[in-house]
Amino acid sequence: MKPLTGLRIADFTVHAAGPFCTHMLSQMGAEVIKVETALRPDIFRKSHAVYGRQGPATFDQVSSNKLSVRLNLKHPEGVALAKKLVGVADVAAESFRAGVMSRLGLGYEVLRGVKRDIVMVSVSSSGQTGPESHFAGYAPLFGAWGGLGYLSGHADGPPVEMRHVMDHSVGMHAALATLAALNRRRRTGEGCHVDVAAREVASSLVGDFLTAASAGVSVGRMGNDDLTRAPHGLFPTADTDRWLSISVSSDAEWKVLTTIIGQPHLADDPRFATQAERYANRRALDAPISDWTSGQGGEAAAERLQAAGVAAHLSWAASDIVSDPHMRARGAILDVAETDGNRRAAVGRPARFAGDDAPGITRGTPALGGDEDYVYGELLGLSGAQISALIEDEAIY
Amino acid sequence: MTDKPLSGLRVIERATGVAAAQAGRLLCQMGAEVIMAEPSEGSPLREEPPLLPGGQSALFTYLSLGKRSVVCDPAGPDFRKDMHKLLAEADIFIDDTPVAERTGLALDDAAIAREHPHIVHLSVLPFGAFGPKAGWKGDEINLIHAGGEGFLLPNGLTADLFPDRPPLKIAGHFAEMQGGTTAAMAALAALWTGEGQYVDASVQDANVAVGAFAIQRYGDGSVEHRLTRSFKFGGVIECADGYVELLTLETRQWLGLIDLLGAEDWAQDPELADEVGRSARGAEINQRIRDWARHRKVEDLVAQAQTLGVPMARYNAPQQVLTGLQETARGIFATIHTPDGPVQVQSLPFRFGPDALPVRDTLASLGADQSILSCQPGRRATA
Repeated sequence: MKPLTGLRIADFTVHAAGPFCTHMLSQMGAEVIKVETALRPDIFRKSHAVYGRQGPATFDQVSSNKLSVRLNLKHPEGVALAKKLVGVADVAAESFRAGVMSRLGLGYEVLRGVKRDIVMVSVSSSGQTGPESHFAGYAPLFGAWGGLGYLSGHADGPPVEMRHVMDHSVGMHAALATLAALNRRRRTGEGCHVDVAAREVASSLVGDFLTAASAGVSVGRMGNDDLTRAPHGLFPTADTDRWLSISVSSDAEWKVLTTIIGQPHLADDPRFATQAERYANRRALDAPISDWTSGQGGEAAAERLQAAGVAAHLSWAASDIVSDPHMRARGAILDVAETDGNRRAAVGRPARFAGDDAPGITRGTPALGGDEDYVYGELLGLSGAQISALIEDEAIY
Repeated sequence: MTDKPLSGLRVIERATGVAAAQAGRLLCQMGAEVIMAEPSEGSPLREEPPLLPGGQSALFTYLSLGKRSVVCDPAGPDFRKDMHKLLAEADIFIDDTPVAERTGLALDDAAIAREHPHIVHLSVLPFGAFGPKAGWKGDEINLIHAGGEGFLLPNGLTADLFPDRPPLKIAGHFAEMQGGTTAAMAALAALWTGEGQYVDASVQDANVAVGAFAIQRYGDGSVEHRLTRSFKFGGVIECADGYVELLTLETRQWLGLIDLLGAEDWAQDPELADEVGRSARGAEINQRIRDWARHRKVEDLVAQAQTLGVPMARYNAPQQVLTGLQETARGIFATIHTPDGPVQVQSLPFRFGPDALPVRDTLASLGADQSILSCQPGRRATA
């Protein structure tokens, strides 16, 4: 049995970060009921000007497993129905701008009045409080605010923008916080309001650099360099745009590497005798390693280096990941059947549990409002006539 | 909230890498008692840069504040006995011991399940403990590329400036941090069952998970590439005194941008009326934005943009994060006194009420809590 079987989440999240949180929890067994409205569908169901896509962009993965209901939160009966839904849930998750849920009449205190031990999870760009809590933001802005973007990039170049991984990292942190809050609820009987600030997630990922900077240590962009390891970086292979990552952490690994690249004399070169000296002279290491990697197939080279105890991996595109036997064996990649019969590769469970080896995803993207019979009828006990009236009144819309 | 959410939990941590230590950090800062079981020379993380001016590791400080430390040396005669004692009273065991070394130390999943069936045994390894690559090594740069995101960076301005350079990693330990966060989440999910069990977390899996959209795009028939997935317009924009990030996804934000740019003339072109049209002429729009921003100051731009509902943010340098208006108002940094003097340390990026969780502020020296091993052991029956 999946570890979170029996948990129910009323999911008001939109875009990427919030939906990823509830998606992760759904992969571990939680029942997630996604609330949407045809009045303003989740933006990720729509085309994106900046991405140049005309169809749904990135909705399928984070919507997999979820149940879908329509609910017009600008209609009083819609809000009333949302409260009923929260009344049968363990968690209410949302990712609107700070204050929106309260303006809709669904703030934490209201929901707590509906269900005393509800865990409400709010995911926002800057948190629920503070002078910039109203700021609009997406993943690249989270990274910019938090210092992660500033610190990423070439030493002679500009900052680098974070993409979806930033959103999803926020979602992963939110899922963690949700489970911690539930743990406390189990212990104390008390719910709480979990406030996840995306920009704080970004800064927490470089927390060590911020701590160092606070002590006056100079920190900045450093490309693919590490702070001590050398050789360390991306090296070309025999195939165009196929790059091999190599990281050497010890003298023993360095010695092995010199043999593999056919330059054992480098192990005796005083410029490279210790890790500190290799690091100081790291740019001089690039050429001999590139000379070797440039004649190698990337996968074979990675396997050879790993067999010798040197950390290496090819820079993988999605096409590499979806077909990888290791990822498939772990259930980290699986195939999902959509309702139209199409199958697609998707990301599976976030970890392997001894007590459960079921696939993380058991159904594909829900149709908008596709689960209303179950949710409104079976779960909330509304009659067919009541549901029809709410549809007629556009409270369910 | 007066008590931390994980108060009462005890965690044993054997960590040589960032991912396992990050899992322990998150649990510790949420209230769990986390005991580092270190080799006699200490965790290698104690030496890992960045270093504070006096030589103390800022990374170890960040990852380990609030944790306790006992020496439990795998090469020593009492290792199994001491580990047994520690695990008997713990709820969660975090371990990044390489798979090949586990059986010899009686730390394999079968041995732990047999001796300590109550415990959530959380394995945290670069490629997991199961599968053809379970024995592979992985440092940060390997893992960001094994997870797919490395191949996709950089985009936008950096990609425009340096199209021939190799892919670029994210700063710091981004990939390993994802591994640790995901592992901690999985451990709490397992704990929710009320029964002990083995959980196999992989840093690679975690990074593939947070990179999920590239997988979905592949399913849609498209392999994303760093040079083609840049935003059609917006992104990193250079200003007179720094950089901002600009991203408009919704029409109302586009209209706000027109207002911000004072572009009522060219932006009225009917071809730009919808998202697809704007996307097709993204390069032209972006050139106009870049030309317009180059002589303006960051602070002025961001204030105007956010007032107009245009998502824009300053690329904050570390000192700007540490002293940021929002960060200060929310109290996310705590002053911690170390042998190197006072430093700022961030609290968790989420809170369970109006206030940030206080940062647990004691940095344990190696073996500072050795007396734990002298205590009379209890034994837990359930997770």
